[in-house]
Amino acid sequence: MNGFLVNFPILAIMTLFVGAFVTSLVGRRNAVARNIVVAVSVTAALGMILALVKPVMLDGQIIAYWLGGWQPVEGWAIGISLEVDALSLFFGLIVTVAVFVSGLYSFTYMNHDDSLVNYYTLFLMLSGSVLGLVLSGDLFNIFVMIEIMTFTAVALTAFRTGYDGALEGAFKYLVVGSLGSTSVLLGIAMIYSQVHTLNLAQIAALIPGQGANPVMIAAFAFLFMGFGTKAFLFPFHPLAADAHAVAPASISLMISGVLTKCGVYGIIRLVYVLYQNYSTPFVSYLVTGFGAVSMFVCVTMAFNQHNFKRLLAFHSISQVGYVITVVGLGSALGLNAGLYHAMNHTIFKGLLFLTAGAVQHQTGSLDLDGLGGLSKKMPKTTLLFLIGAASISGLPPFNGFASKWMIYQAAFLKGVYDGNFFYVIVAVVALITSVLTLASFVKVSQSVFFGQLPEQYKEVKEAPFAMRLPMWILAVLCVVTGLFPNFVQTYLLTPAVRAVTDLTGYIDAAMGAGYAANHGIASWPVTVIPVTGVWNPVSWLLLLFCVTCGVAIVALLASPSDNSKLHISSKDESDEERNDKYESFFSGEEALYSQVGGSDLFWGFKHNWRKYFSFMHDWHSGIVNDYALYGVVAIALVLLACIVIL
Amino acid sequence: MMVVNFIGSFALIVLGLYCMVAKHNLIKVIIGMGLVDYGTNLLIVSVGFHAGGTAPIFTIAELTRASFFVDPVPQALTLTSIVIGACTTAMSLSLVMMLRRQYGTLDTREIRRLNG
Repeated sequence: MNGFLVNFPILAIMTLFVGAFVTSLVGRRNAVARNIVVAVSVTAALGMILALVKPVMLDGQIIAYWLGGWQPVEGWAIGISLEVDALSLFFGLIVTVAVFVSGLYSFTYMNHDDSLVNYYTLFLMLSGSVLGLVLSGDLFNIFVMIEIMTFTAVALTAFRTGYDGALEGAFKYLVVGSLGSTSVLLGIAMIYSQVHTLNLAQIAALIPGQGANPVMIAAFAFLFMGFGTKAFLFPFHPLAADAHAVAPASISLMISGVLTKCGVYGIIRLVYVLYQNYSTPFVSYLVTGFGAVSMFVCVTMAFNQHNFKRLLAFHSISQVGYVITVVGLGSALGLNAGLYHAMNHTIFKGLLFLTAGAVQHQTGSLDLDGLGGLSKKMPKTTLLFLIGAASISGLPPFNGFASKWMIYQAAFLKGVYDGNFFYVIVAVVALITSVLTLASFVKVSQSVFFGQLPEQYKEVKEAPFAMRLPMWILAVLCVVTGLFPNFVQTYLLTPAVRAVTDLTGYIDAAMGAGYAANHGIASWPVTVIPVTGVWNPVSWLLLLFCVTCGVAIVALLASPSDNSKLHISSKDESDEERNDKYESFFSGEEALYSQVGGSDLFWGFKHNWRKYFSFMHDWHSGIVNDYALYGVVAIALVLLACIVIL
Repeated sequence: MMVVNFIGSFALIVLGLYCMVAKHNLIKVIIGMGLVDYGTNLLIVSVGFHAGGTAPIFTIAELTRASFFVDPVPQALTLTSIVIGACTTAMSLSLVMMLRRQYGTLDTREIRRLNG
């Protein structure tokens, strides 16, 4: 390998951290210098990570960098290492791209706020910590990075202190998030007490020799729940909803696109590399179960929301649930699908949060009941929103379709091969969740972008170009990764999955050749990753086109008679005046002026499920003690189950 | 002897968790978080303790296979963890100050505008 490339991981992390300090030094008086520093450090980090794509992704090299040159002595890792394999780099790419887009967006989006120097300092520290987390080869460094990440994210959530609920959301995030951090730290202490090392590669080599040591199993439970907190899995999801709803949109992008990915990365590392217990049935049930519950509960919660970004937050967790679900399957196809969806989630969810931010920036409101008809005033933002909504709902030809298809297939195949009905149910739940996602986004587009324009938004202008540019970057990525899944598969997913399966390579790169073999660690048998999940997008596009043409023809031919019928009936039967709003499914109070609002859609569905919805509404009480209780109970149950069963 | 430490650390953690779950005063919730931190710190430092070991201060020349000392790594971890715990407390207290100004109360049951 080119000698200097080895330094790029540490340089990329340092660029962001040094950028944070330089920002706070020069940015207090000079806004232009501040923006230049931010732009340079963000771009430099992205460039360095991109430069690593060729050696790590394509040539399959693994970079092990020992800070200060402290190489392992006699098979013991005494220094701190950064270890970059294709999996780390895959997440590193997600992180740096999201950071780049978010930084670009912030320049215009945040221009109404003051004390921006603090914002950018925290923003760069958040970026640096997340990058450090995914590139680190040391378990304790991962904990430190998690803590920096949590603090900066909390501070940024509360950045608009005057915004209603910002402090509250941040406080809940801090309190319940600290449960997760403590859980990770406990897990690390327990692992250290048994194997006396903190290096990921060495731990991976030593853990199988421990057998069914109850301390190691407890450590697994703690680490799983700790990373689960950072991914906002099921009992921790209220945090994400509260934090997203009040944070600036660029930070919502970071929280949903980047911070949750750290949890996903941690769980993949933990299950596949450190403990290598991905094939244990109980671990599969545990991880898949948490994912499936998260994706279903959060998508139904999204139906009840009246705040644009809070609704998006619940969808965000629902999509992360998909990722965790397939990661738990323990198959190469499942991991492949999970990584693909993780990447796509960052792209389309980032796009949706940025459009929400654009709406907030231009109208000053995020209230789904108050907005409406913005497609006339902000047509370009509407188009971008529709691309994002189609992606997240899994419509072809966007990227959500490709990865969701792979997810259904992975879950279903697992059920068929193992003859286990549980995974078939999971596949069905995933399908239902996708349908509910689509329904929910129909509601959002009706509430915000279509329907009638309220009086006070007559003067709304289109979002400025500087805000649309980052959105277009993400929208183009949505389409490109959806249209060419084979390229994504070849250049990103296959290397990342191979890196996970290649345990000996990961261990030997850090600890010296032959170390893994001495400890009896073998890689997975080299399997050809089945790419049956990859579809042919062009034919789907053609199908979509044909169906659209058909629908259009029918609609055009039928519309005149329909209109006349409507007209006549409303004239003749004036006592039964027709108003779509009071048809079945569009119910609501009859009023002098009332448009079909987003809340009226799917009224029947909500009515039939009213007991469930009212229960869930009360369950998300908003009291920090309750959320802490759910977290503690979940950690305790998982701990108990792991110790009893494993 | 170490068993006492382990029992003590888990007792602290459980007490802290109880405090976080059951107490409705924001300050008490933060005290609970602090207790959890202290319990964890005690656990880590106990993990590296060897009865009768010396302080881990050696030059490379003095270090032999026979030297018996307390594991220094957990102590470094504990120091880091203490610093992080102090930051958590400071940050949450500053949030509580501003919350009190906005909401006029310290009761968690009244600080729930974000719900449902």
